[in-house]
Amino acid sequence: MHFTATPASVVSLVPAAEGSMPLIPHWEELVFGLIMFAILWWVVAKKVVPNIEKAYEERHAAIEGGIAQAENAQAEAEAAKAQYEAQLAEARSEAAQIREDARAEGAAIVAQMRQQAQDEANRITESAHKQIDAERQQAAVTLRGEVGRMSTDLAGRIVGHELSESSTRQSIIDRFLSELETGKVQPEKVTASAPGSSTVDGQES
Amino acid sequence: MTLTAPASWVGTAPTASGGGEGYQTPTPEIFWQPLFELGPITVTNQMAWAAIITAALSFAMIALSKNAAVVPGKGQWLFENFYNLPRNTIARDMIGTRHFRQYLPLIVTLFTMVLFFNLAGSFFGSMMPVTSKIGFPIALTLVVYVVYHWIGVKKHGLGGYFKHMVPGGLPKAVVPVIFPLELITYFITRPLTLALRLFGNMFAGHMLIYLFVTGAFYFLIEGDILLKLVSLPTFLMAGVMLVFELLVQFLQAFVFALLTASYIAGALADDH
Amino acid sequence: MEGNLSVVGYGLSAIGPAIAVGLIFAAYINGVARQPEARNLLQPIAILGFALAEALAIFGLVLAFVFN
Repeated sequence: MHFTATPASVVSLVPAAEGSMPLIPHWEELVFGLIMFAILWWVVAKKVVPNIEKAYEERHAAIEGGIAQAENAQAEAEAAKAQYEAQLAEARSEAAQIREDARAEGAAIVAQMRQQAQDEANRITESAHKQIDAERQQAAVTLRGEVGRMSTDLAGRIVGHELSESSTRQSIIDRFLSELETGKVQPEKVTASAPGSSTVDGQES
Repeated sequence: MTLTAPASWVGTAPTASGGGEGYQTPTPEIFWQPLFELGPITVTNQMAWAAIITAALSFAMIALSKNAAVVPGKGQWLFENFYNLPRNTIARDMIGTRHFRQYLPLIVTLFTMVLFFNLAGSFFGSMMPVTSKIGFPIALTLVVYVVYHWIGVKKHGLGGYFKHMVPGGLPKAVVPVIFPLELITYFITRPLTLALRLFGNMFAGHMLIYLFVTGAFYFLIEGDILLKLVSLPTFLMAGVMLVFELLVQFLQAFVFALLTASYIAGALADDH
Repeated sequence: MEGNLSVVGYGLSAIGPAIAVGLIFAAYINGVARQPEARNLLQPIAILGFALAEALAIFGLVLAFVFN
């Protein structure tokens, strides 16, 4: 009955039955365990951990480098894009400017052309008017002379005597013509007041 | 019920068994497996397996990490997955990102070594966890013990280290009570539990499996019809225990490394 | 019936740590269920607690051998 354990009682069991006392270390195993640990520790500390940690570091660096590179590339792309966009905007504004200029120029040209055409038209119209006036004037003068001569001829022939006194004749003709121009002389009136003339007309025809 | 202890730590056979001289439950003697003697040194089975596992681990780890590249191959990828557990989950999370690289070899070595020494209980044809002999846990614990005290003394100085043990912000009156407790924790409880936890788990687990397997064989060979039937669930139970032991073996390796990291972190901490 | 009283002692000493381990993992499961993202934070703490509680059971086992 061992209900009390003293160091002596524990140790005294060892030589009696090695192995029956599992808590007493077999000292060879203890030393051997230390040696084994030392070997494995040396292997792990000198070969395994440095290699793996180096790989981890490199991987870390590679990933970080990759990220930095990607960031660089992205920044570059952004810059290029910004530049491109700036250029595009510039080109667009330039084009707009050119278009605006062209439009203004076109408008100016059109206005100028229109002005010229207008002027030309005006000038032509004016000259035409002038020509027409002149021709009318001429025609009127010619007609006046002609009508006067013809009517004096006619009247002379009808009246039978020469209305040679040019002053009276001329004054008569002028008065008549001016009356004719102002519209005082109506065909009916002419017929009524001067039946001779209508008769002349009738005889004539 | 008599309390007479047998000469060795032996349980008793199930009295229900009808067969012959009865069943001898496994004793701690099953762990004593001397191979040969070299002068005064008795080389045991566990020592041989420790050497084999250490050699295999060394070669495997060197081979897998020799050509460590930025883009890992298949082997390196597998090894990295294994390596990341002690590196990230244990060392980095416990010690902190600033200092953990320095103690990485220690943590990785401890984790790997304990894990494979434990796994020897289920693999490698040894069917005997190397760590079920207390010499190996004690050896590893000695290393941890020396390392974390050395780190503490180096960081805080000898007096500062003892002062550091007492949590800051305590009332003056409590300090004399706490200090011996902390002293016991630092110098006795920690190494003792660290070694004994590993040893006890491996020892008891292996013994349990041994008990189930030998018991099942005993039932099968010596028992009558009823006991032969009982042997089947017993075998099943042995299988279940084997799987459970796998979990425990891994967990104990994890705990060993985790506690080591936590002790180192505690010694490194600026303020307790 | 023959036996060793220290084995009974070990059995008794295992009760407390068994409950403690159960409580620790229950709390861990609760914590992870409530905040799954806290899993990595809680895991080492839970295993640390488990290891500390388990140490008491291991003490029982050891004492069962010592007081043989």
